[in-house]
Amino acid sequence: MQDKLQEVVRKLLAEGAVEYFIGYCQSSQPHRAVPCFVSDESEVEKLVWGPLCGQNLSKYVLRANELEGKVGILLKGCDTRAIVELIKQHQIERDKIVAIGVPCQGQVDGRKLEKALGVSLEQVTNVEDAGDGFLVTVGEETKKVPKEEVLLDKCFRCKHPYAFPYDVTLGEVVPFTIEADVGEYAAVEELEALPIEERRAFWRKQFERCIRCNACREACYACYCKECLFDRKMPRWLAAPPLLSENEMYHLIRAVHLAGRCIDCGECQRVCPVNIPLGSLYRKIQKDVAELFDYEAGMEMDTVPPLVNFELDDQDPFL
Amino acid sequence: MVSSSDSLGNGFEPKILVFACNWCSYAGADLAGVSRLQMPPNCRVVRVMCSARVRPEFVITALSKGLDGVLVLGCHPGDCHYSEGNYFTRRRGLLLRKLLEYVGIEPERFQVRWVSASEGAKFAETVERVTEQIRALGPNRPRSEVLPTEPGDK
Amino acid sequence: MPKTRVGVFVCHCGNNIGGVVRVPDVVEYARTLPNVTYAEDNLYTCSEEGLSSIKDQIAKEGLNRIVVASCTPRTHEPLFKKACEEAGLNKYLFEFVNIREHCSWVHMHDPAMATQKAKELVRMGVAKAVHLEPQEEFESDVFPAALVIGGGVAGMSAALALANQGIQVHLVEREQELGGLIRGVQTLFPTEQDTDELLRPLAERVKAHPQISVFLGSEVESVSGFIGDFDVSVRTDGEVEGLRVGTIVVATGAEELKPVGLYRYGELPNVVTQLEFEEQFKSGGDVPRSVAIINCVGARIPQRTYCGRFCCATAIKNAIWMMERDPEARVYVLHRDVMAYGVEIEEFYQRAMELGVRFLRYDVESPPEVLGEDRAKAVKVQHQLMGKEVTLPVDMVVLTTPLVARDDNGKLSKMLKVPLGSEGFFLEAHLKLRPIEFSTDGVYVCGAARYPSNIPESVSQAYAAAAKASIPIREGLVRVEAITAVCDERTCSACGNCVEACPFGAVELQQGRFGRTAYVNTALCKGCGCCVAACPSGAMQQRGFSDRQVLSMIGALAEVMTGGVE
Repeated sequence: MQDKLQEVVRKLLAEGAVEYFIGYCQSSQPHRAVPCFVSDESEVEKLVWGPLCGQNLSKYVLRANELEGKVGILLKGCDTRAIVELIKQHQIERDKIVAIGVPCQGQVDGRKLEKALGVSLEQVTNVEDAGDGFLVTVGEETKKVPKEEVLLDKCFRCKHPYAFPYDVTLGEVVPFTIEADVGEYAAVEELEALPIEERRAFWRKQFERCIRCNACREACYACYCKECLFDRKMPRWLAAPPLLSENEMYHLIRAVHLAGRCIDCGECQRVCPVNIPLGSLYRKIQKDVAELFDYEAGMEMDTVPPLVNFELDDQDPFL
Repeated sequence: MVSSSDSLGNGFEPKILVFACNWCSYAGADLAGVSRLQMPPNCRVVRVMCSARVRPEFVITALSKGLDGVLVLGCHPGDCHYSEGNYFTRRRGLLLRKLLEYVGIEPERFQVRWVSASEGAKFAETVERVTEQIRALGPNRPRSEVLPTEPGDK
Repeated sequence: MPKTRVGVFVCHCGNNIGGVVRVPDVVEYARTLPNVTYAEDNLYTCSEEGLSSIKDQIAKEGLNRIVVASCTPRTHEPLFKKACEEAGLNKYLFEFVNIREHCSWVHMHDPAMATQKAKELVRMGVAKAVHLEPQEEFESDVFPAALVIGGGVAGMSAALALANQGIQVHLVEREQELGGLIRGVQTLFPTEQDTDELLRPLAERVKAHPQISVFLGSEVESVSGFIGDFDVSVRTDGEVEGLRVGTIVVATGAEELKPVGLYRYGELPNVVTQLEFEEQFKSGGDVPRSVAIINCVGARIPQRTYCGRFCCATAIKNAIWMMERDPEARVYVLHRDVMAYGVEIEEFYQRAMELGVRFLRYDVESPPEVLGEDRAKAVKVQHQLMGKEVTLPVDMVVLTTPLVARDDNGKLSKMLKVPLGSEGFFLEAHLKLRPIEFSTDGVYVCGAARYPSNIPESVSQAYAAAAKASIPIREGLVRVEAITAVCDERTCSACGNCVEACPFGAVELQQGRFGRTAYVNTALCKGCGCCVAACPSGAMQQRGFSDRQVLSMIGALAEVMTGGVE
């Protein structure tokens, strides 16, 4: 797969079909791949593909707007949801992108891997897909770790919008399924089942740890605003320097802004330096948008965002 | 600090922000006044042209700043002066109250209700009911937690 | 930048406010608020004295924001705004605080709390006032001409009503003749006069009128612009002409449903619709001996739930017509209900029965059946009252069908940016409160284009539409209250939420100095704020109700809880 990818990209660059290609490559730390931008055929060999490519690179396509030509990008099925939304939200034209689809069999969650192995991630030198598990090399030893122990949360509910019009596919883009007893909204339902005071205490504790680094915002494809509401000075929504008492406000407002746009890529949770379970917050938003408005972001090109739309027979408990 | 107790110095007095749309609910509130319908003095009305002007961030901000409750009033669906505004209000209301409850804010603290220009009694009843519900819940946040922000920013 | 100097005027309103709220305390409190340089109380701020005081203090104290705390803005706001203007202060630098309807009148038994509340409301009002900005009302010229689309009874009536006021009218009719739907009708109910007697003089007047230019065999091809300034192109025989108008009346009417597939229409030659019946027989030709008229064909059924309203009257009319020509004729009207509303139609119905027209009621669950091989010979029907099936031998079957919306309504609706209802007819702004108008300004609708209506109804609506369409033209100007939305193009990311949210189509994405950004057409903006609330980045704002202003009110109220008020 990796060879095929490199072949395709080499060709694209040689033909001048793209100005550069966005993909993953090995980093100085072997346990994770990092985004890279390849503009010359000589750099193509850096590109990798494997179970360490969980990041959603879609946001980088926006740079193409500054270029004359196109950019290429490697897209897992889940990543295409961001591209669909970016096109719908007028941030990029479809013909600015050369989309390469890749069949994905699940991606590794670094934190879960660490926990499963009992060693720090720095010691992991290789991870390979092996069907029902991953072959993980730590030092001299290679172990097979069952997928359900280390997959990214989102992989358990892989939706693969097959209708996405890839330009090239590196093989049949088929759904990834796994037999695991994980409900669609398991984490959310667990919290919903708690008494309200316990929930308040839980989220208070979580939001208190937020250091307002804005990494979640930077990683999120939907946070492309030229000037973010939170950066405005007139009016100033949040105090500067940041107030602890306003942490909750930051997260609730961002969650509301993502309603109808969150594609469940999990980047926010992945990049949070203090491990706030943002997935539990954003999954709740997705759940409510799906249940209340029958809408899922990134699955169709022609739908209207739910909060600027309505049905005459929307639920109405406000009479 | 006066606002934590009533004129008799007893108990907690909630402070509730109310958004009322110019064409229906604000007029309904006026009618309640004209009809001398007495109600608890805990609500503070902000007039907007349409309930759809009320962005969810206002509600979140108000609650975050320690206000004990937010009430959004609009026209009955189908009767919006701007045809569709309150349909958006309805959707936002549905989503926001679920989200707020999920992070542990009691659902009574954020309510939406449709009050027409002729429903003075409904306005009064709503104010009464919402005030009592929130009074029973107690303060939204300990006052000590809500620190004043820099003057001049707002 | 000049320092903000707020003047606060707190009204006693006689005893209405002052009897409950301790007004002097509120005044004193107001003086402590940031940016307030002057505060006073008045017995009646709306009185000559009060208004003069405002004007005087603006001059004397150099006030550049005025806050009046008294009754509801819905009464005296224009009065106070005018006073500000007279004193040379932009009228949008004025803020109203309601401490009567929302305070003194509803907390009569708790003066202490009422006073507290009044103080807080004033605090909120002052906080907002500080952030008010001067505004100019957008004025747009109205081009003094109107377009009427459709030359039927409604269209012609509207055109004449407009032209008689001296307004230039362009009347565009698709067919080669004026008259519309009723050209196919021979006689009218309940008067039974010849249609021509009504139609010909009307059409003559239209054609002869110096203010009306008639386009026959023409269609509207495109419309752009907005109220006061529409650019319309009209195509006639392949030639396109451009017209400029201020307002548009839609009078495109409707068409008779041809019920293919029902009651063997289209299959048997002697099963016809009411219009076809009129065409065949009324211009000469023998009256059939026995006729079954079936009502509610294609109406009041799951696929089309509405009632055609006057098709019963049409059926009765033609039944009477037949009986009068041949008293021996057997005319059956098979109906589900007889819609004979109003005095004249009820009398008409009576007359039909007196003449010997037989009315038979059938159930929607057991509709009549048309029998015959290559011609209709009989109609079998479950007679509801008799409780049994009867077979009626007939020479002809006439089907009464409702008017249905024209197929190309969709095309016109998109051109004009006006909506269609669920049945394809044009949908007015509000069924009860705003008939004849659309949410889109400057466009009006009358006649069968909005739903099946008979001639008197269509004509009344046409007069109403003409009256409405003439108002902007007479005023010469469209003035928009300066509470419209405005997008900061430097910070707009063109996500498009605002475009979707706007109920009036007033927002579009355009290429500008800072790339693609949202742009509000102020002439179309109604100031609802839907777009503002939908903007994630805060680039879209509403004049007079900006995020900054609202947040300042929330902040002012919240500050009270952290030691702001004593």
